[in-house]
Amino acid sequence: MTSAPVSDPTDILQEALAAAPGGFVELRWHAKRTRGLSVEKGRVDNATAAEHSGVGVRVLEQGTFGFASTGQLEKGAIVRAIGQARAAARASAGARRERVPDLPAVALARGRFDAPGVDATLARPIEAALDMLLEVERGARASSSLVTSASAGYSEIFEEKGIVTSDGAKVWTRTVRPEFRVIAVAAKAGEMQRGAEAVGVTGGWECLFEKASAAQLSDKAAKQAVDLLGAAYPEGGRTKVLLSPALVGLLTHEAVGHTVEADFVASGSCAAGKIGHRVASDLVTLCDSGASEYHDGAGGTLAVDDEGVATKRTVVIRDGMLESYLHDRESAARFGVAPTGNARAWEYDDEPLIRMRNTYIAPGTSTLDEMIANVDDGYLLDGASNGQADANGEFMFGTREAYRILKGKRGPLLRGVNISGSAFEVLQTVDAVGRDFRWDLGSGHCGKGQPAKVDAGGPWLSCQVVLGGRKS
Amino acid sequence: MSTAAAQRERASDTATTEAELLARCEALVAEALRAGADEAEAFATRAEKSAATFEKGDLKLAHVDDGAAIGLRVFRNQRLGFAATNQMDPASLSAAARSAVALASAAPADAANVLPAPRPIERLPSLVHPGLASYGIDEAVRFGHTLMTRAQAFDKRISVDGASCDVSRVSQAIHTSRGVRASESDAMVALSISGMAIDGGDVGGFHYASDAVRDPARVEHTVAELVQSFSSISVGNLASQRAESYRGVVLFSPDAFLDLFVAPVLSACSAIAVQRGRSALAKRLGERIGSAGLSIVDAPGDLDLAGAGSFDREGQPARALALVEDGWLRAWLYNGYAAAVEGRASTGHARGGARSVPGLGAHAITVAPGRGGTREDLLRTLGRGLLVQRFSGSVDPASGDFSGVAKSSRWVEGGAVVRPLRETLLSGNAFQLLASVVALSSASERVDGSARAPWALVDGLNVTAG
Repeated sequence: MTSAPVSDPTDILQEALAAAPGGFVELRWHAKRTRGLSVEKGRVDNATAAEHSGVGVRVLEQGTFGFASTGQLEKGAIVRAIGQARAAARASAGARRERVPDLPAVALARGRFDAPGVDATLARPIEAALDMLLEVERGARASSSLVTSASAGYSEIFEEKGIVTSDGAKVWTRTVRPEFRVIAVAAKAGEMQRGAEAVGVTGGWECLFEKASAAQLSDKAAKQAVDLLGAAYPEGGRTKVLLSPALVGLLTHEAVGHTVEADFVASGSCAAGKIGHRVASDLVTLCDSGASEYHDGAGGTLAVDDEGVATKRTVVIRDGMLESYLHDRESAARFGVAPTGNARAWEYDDEPLIRMRNTYIAPGTSTLDEMIANVDDGYLLDGASNGQADANGEFMFGTREAYRILKGKRGPLLRGVNISGSAFEVLQTVDAVGRDFRWDLGSGHCGKGQPAKVDAGGPWLSCQVVLGGRKS
Repeated sequence: MSTAAAQRERASDTATTEAELLARCEALVAEALRAGADEAEAFATRAEKSAATFEKGDLKLAHVDDGAAIGLRVFRNQRLGFAATNQMDPASLSAAARSAVALASAAPADAANVLPAPRPIERLPSLVHPGLASYGIDEAVRFGHTLMTRAQAFDKRISVDGASCDVSRVSQAIHTSRGVRASESDAMVALSISGMAIDGGDVGGFHYASDAVRDPARVEHTVAELVQSFSSISVGNLASQRAESYRGVVLFSPDAFLDLFVAPVLSACSAIAVQRGRSALAKRLGERIGSAGLSIVDAPGDLDLAGAGSFDREGQPARALALVEDGWLRAWLYNGYAAAVEGRASTGHARGGARSVPGLGAHAITVAPGRGGTREDLLRTLGRGLLVQRFSGSVDPASGDFSGVAKSSRWVEGGAVVRPLRETLLSGNAFQLLASVVALSSASERVDGSARAPWALVDGLNVTAG
């Protein structure tokens, strides 16, 4: 894999733009190069190097957007794609009821932005990652006779973008996002349980394993699988819970973040019309940021979005009051606010959508021990799996581990179950916010038609949710 | 140009495209062998897409695309390497070949790393309907617009969050150093709609519906069906109330039944999962794992389903395979790798596209109907309890444990739906509950254009009211 081009890709985009003048045009050269490895039971299932590169073209013509793309960073091909995008816009303009308003004037980004770790990661031989995977996967299997299977995977996404728009953006960015994951399966007396750990960052190898080594993550996954064998289920129902930073990340992303994306708001999400209203306990301040706040390496970090807008920290909820939605340039024009730098496209042949970046609840003042001591009857929940939320704010997400808390004392491990609730109702019940902050959702992807690398996190949080347990 | 002439041109384009892809694959395999590979497999695709997306009840974007990709799998001393690119110039293809061979030098050897030998492929009728060949952005805009506006007209409380229509033509080709050589093209119209009903301050539960068809004569009918199902369920989600917690029988829609019960079975039927000790069904081949009447078949020859095709990702013939018959577990799914581990033939279940190493999975799943009558008959059989139309949650593929939210769910009293529900959670174990399928409806329904399943009554569910 190479890091070409070494010259500024925006120059050729600028030439193509000059050759096809007229109206709003946005050109995005987006080179995505990935390397991926996975092993299971000592066998290599995947050893991949892949490239998917080209130029996405979005135009605003006759009051509507048209999009086309080309796999070639070549002036003639880009000019043809501009023509195809314009033709698509014209062909569809009759179906557009309300014309796209003039995009808001904003200081668009110019220059070059390199995220940390790019050159070091590209220079690192893939053999080192393969050796590491084989070792930690072997270690997971050797950790207990009850572990019947283990797998481990490593991937890195290197992205290079050049963005030029007819209203002034001219920016070149480079980012790398490595990810590690390990899964262990344990079995006993016909029962099978799975433990999993994953980490993903924006940054280099050292950043990826800054909090825990691959071996430590592997040991943790194997222990989780073994410990869950024979573990009981929690009882279901509405209950007090302490959510770990990973689960707080899921809560902020799934339950709140999606409902404040301006396209969802315009469709009538539960956040519509609530700017300036109380939607959470006054202990809650919730933000979405293009930067990696508090700790380096958050997985959704980006300096400039795919419309050429410099990203910034957006305070969504301040002290419990809803303060802002998340915008691209079109929604910002419709809402009469400044864009927040949330337009993101997964690949060159995808159009930018409103997406989150790094979403979090700001830390408070409590220690975890204090929070446990204050729970009379509830659960401590940890380990995030999947999550989803609807526009009405009803969310669900999976947890891997649960512990009953009775009169301030933590009990034995129980199986994790899904939790559910209504976003703003749950946030209103927050009665304590921890002080130790962690990003914990950097692996995997958010899905919204297209995938997106995001991160989310926060401190420990005390609130009330519905627990999907089992009746005894 | 007349429509008929355009169609003829498109039909010849498909043949030309497949020939070009085969030539590209052949050249890349030769390049890989020159670079040091012992065996090489190239899989190439070309996808032409015209798509219209709608948001907030209005057109959002018209999107046209024509993209290509090629993936190269090589084995060198039984070590795996893979590279993929969308750059088709000779220098990029040569770099991909060198990259795949270099990766193969790093990996440990595995005796099962061999390419499958060629086997006769029984060709399906063309998957490109002549009437669909000339469709483009005009049709995508028209069908998407019709879908959205009819849903809005169904009830003024409907809020369409998103709607889309994609017209796609995809050609694929494979060539390997073992002599496998095949190509095929497919064309579909895919429609989707999502949103909710809003009545004052009451925002109903989110719902979505989608379908995909190959026959242009069915597009209008499909639009009408999607409008009806999406709109009626969305409006029905308004004024939701609390459920009751209980343990017992639940009625599942075909969609929810597939997600909760059939998907874990498919994961557990992966021969690789069995071989590597992560299939809960590993020791149960030939045993009864489900209730009488439960039959699950993979049917890649079903032209009404999106996964139809003549061959799999490795160029092996794709044929019907019964996984579960009348409750008895009958077969595992094999790709070339899993088959080589056991020294047997692949069942033709290598899956995936040009950008990744061939995986393993089913093509077009059909769950056979039962004898439970209609949905209304099953409601009467249920009498009192929960009806689930969509499941939003997680199923652990190893244990079968699941937990999640029953979406667009309804409370049933006296054999009839009486109210919509909110914040209702379901939990249980998919593998254990397969034996508790009380009844299946007498007809299976298409789900998202990609599978078929009946409505199902299942006992032993934990229902938790929020």
